[in-house]
Amino acid sequence: MDTGKAEKYGSVIASPVKSFFVSMLTRDIKLGDAVLDLLDNCVDGILRSGKKGGGRPYEGFRAEIGFARDSFSISDNCGGIPWRLHDYAFRMGRALDRAPDAPGAVGVYGIGMKRAIFKMGKDCLISTRNGKDQYEVEIPEAWLEKEFEWNLSVREAKGALAEDGTTIVVRNLYPGIAKQFGEDGMAFKTELEDMVSTHYAYIIDKGLEVKINGDPVEPRAARIRFEKPVSKEAPVVRPYIFRTGMDGTEVFLVVGFTRGIPSQSEILDQQESVKYSSVDAGWTVLCNDRAVVYCDRSELTGWGEAGVPRYHTQFIAISGIVEFRSEDPRGLPTTTTKRGIDASAPVYLQVKNKMREGMRIFTDFTNKWKTREEEARDYIKRGAPLSLDEIKAQAGGLPFKPTRKYFPGGEQYRPVLPLPPMLEPTKRRICFTKDVSKIRNVGEYLGDSDMEPSDVGEKCFDTVYEEARK
Amino acid sequence: MTGPAYHLRTNKAADRFALIEAIRRLPRLGVDLEEYTYYGLGGAYLEDIRLLYEYCPEIKMVSIEGSPDIYQRQKFHQPCGTLKLENCDMRSYIGQYEPNDAKSIFWLDYTELRYGCVDDFIALLDKVIAGSMVKITLRADPRDYWNKPADIRRRKAEEFRGEFRLVLPKQSARLPREFGRFAYMVQEMLRIAAQRALSAQTTQLAFQPVSSFYYSDGTWMFTLTGVVWPRNGHGAIERAYRNWEFANLTWGRPRLIDIPDLSTKERLHLQQFLPCGAPRGATLHSELGHLVEEDVPKTEEALEQYAAFHRYFPYFLRGVP
Repeated sequence: MDTGKAEKYGSVIASPVKSFFVSMLTRDIKLGDAVLDLLDNCVDGILRSGKKGGGRPYEGFRAEIGFARDSFSISDNCGGIPWRLHDYAFRMGRALDRAPDAPGAVGVYGIGMKRAIFKMGKDCLISTRNGKDQYEVEIPEAWLEKEFEWNLSVREAKGALAEDGTTIVVRNLYPGIAKQFGEDGMAFKTELEDMVSTHYAYIIDKGLEVKINGDPVEPRAARIRFEKPVSKEAPVVRPYIFRTGMDGTEVFLVVGFTRGIPSQSEILDQQESVKYSSVDAGWTVLCNDRAVVYCDRSELTGWGEAGVPRYHTQFIAISGIVEFRSEDPRGLPTTTTKRGIDASAPVYLQVKNKMREGMRIFTDFTNKWKTREEEARDYIKRGAPLSLDEIKAQAGGLPFKPTRKYFPGGEQYRPVLPLPPMLEPTKRRICFTKDVSKIRNVGEYLGDSDMEPSDVGEKCFDTVYEEARK
Repeated sequence: MTGPAYHLRTNKAADRFALIEAIRRLPRLGVDLEEYTYYGLGGAYLEDIRLLYEYCPEIKMVSIEGSPDIYQRQKFHQPCGTLKLENCDMRSYIGQYEPNDAKSIFWLDYTELRYGCVDDFIALLDKVIAGSMVKITLRADPRDYWNKPADIRRRKAEEFRGEFRLVLPKQSARLPREFGRFAYMVQEMLRIAAQRALSAQTTQLAFQPVSSFYYSDGTWMFTLTGVVWPRNGHGAIERAYRNWEFANLTWGRPRLIDIPDLSTKERLHLQQFLPCGAPRGATLHSELGHLVEEDVPKTEEALEQYAAFHRYFPYFLRGVP
């Protein structure tokens, strides 16, 4: 071995290059996702504050997002960043041996806030207040340009914020971002509202107030029909429920109907714009209240595999929610952006079997009631639309049975859904297709241009039948 | 069937004339009308085509019609030999449409308010070249969502928010109950759709509005016309349209078309006083000397509408076939 060579070459620099963090890391994330990362920090702040508890644990907390052609800001009252956490909050990445800073948080990698800021612009001011800790950290353009300067100066900021919380203001926006906030601002606001209303649906439902450019965001959380039994024997429409706990991760799964199954005319009508109208159908996956997948209708959530049919408009009424809950976010099957599932995570692969099992009950029901949707709708309508928490509360009174395969510790409730009675031999179904404009004209003639096509057809038949009887 | 035949609706007729006027101002942008092809959903009577041929015969014309029955009637009503009739629905037509560097004028004249219509608008804006004009007409009738029992009203509003979530300006806002406000909301939805189609990040082109109206032709409708033009060339659009009374160049509130029912004798009498300065309604009322609506304010409002749109108001006279 020639030791002289080693001495000649010495060591090489393997420290990170700042421009990698500033330019490359931000390419992996869309602007909307970066903003959601900042919202995640607000939620983690609430958890850290220890004030979370009760049925509406996020009540009283708010986050306000504002953007324009020349700046972006997010301001919250979610507890602020304690000085003891400055190492985590402002460093690029989390040390492996570092435990999560609050039980139930979703932040794992320690890059969200920095990545979001670097995505948007070159000048940032972070002001925070946590009890007696009140300080500001500035990230100026000059800092970004100095390759080997990693320290950021901190200054005291007494009185900058009225309550515990954090305000982040980004200026000197990159041209593309300025366009998204400026010329494309209305479209971006709509997109962001949609993302927040779906991914934060369950958190907003539990009290967090989120505003975007002054407008409050409404949650779009699925509500699943749940009927209380009239008698013990009578079949009722209720969701399939599965729950378990493994390796520190609690799982609660529910799948059922959100609405009546669609009539054949509605299916035809909606096929044209299926991706817009059936937005509530499919699976939503929650990790510590945060929706990481919203209304998915692909193989990712079990559609079209292992005996479950591919998603089709006829299944528009089927919706499921899987909730993963873990004090340590590393136990959650989510991706780094928290906008997706790690489909290869063992915990998810196991739960997916149950997702498919539950889903089959409702696809079978839909198929069995085909051509008699109206009767099926009557059954479904009897159930009240319940939120996830309301279903959890009702689940206490249901006869759960232990699951042996896959989940030794799990238990499930399989509903017994009503079956269609045999069709009376004296009745036959009439089905035909007509132009929408013609149906509307006939509906108008019959007194309501908005009448359902099936009702128009039926009323036409009844009218002619009455005349034929004379 | 309620209301007059489609081609005899006066407010709709005024809207057609407004389109003709918007088209006739295009050469002020430095373009030649001979470069254009008009694509319309003219229905059985091809009224838009007839008008366009009358005022701008240099424009090539294509009628798009999905219904085979109406297509046959169109063959019968063809107002000129230069019109090309296509038996195809608009969505499919847009799908296979290639501008090939030729400017287009499209009128997406829909009778419904469905996301599919907005989606067609987005797809079309993405395809047409600079200088093309796009007009879209949509149903904008708040009674579809308001004049219902409470539970149906809630469901309809929820369905609306679900269907249009990708273009809604404010998710949390209640659906407007007043016609003008509802029309303005639809306009804002189309503005968002236009931003989605022509994002500032990917193209220098933008959809620049030139006019927008709402009117009732039995049901309430909204219509928006604009030009696909370089984003930094708004000045040219402004110069071309600023003197037009009906210009809406800044996404302002749409203008109402509500032409009163006047007799031919009343119209011929008023003709000599037009155009006139403000207050036009009061001037015409005083010249006419009687009410045409139930009271003075409503009469003056109606005559103001007449003064604004009288040049676009067709005469429907009994003819001998």
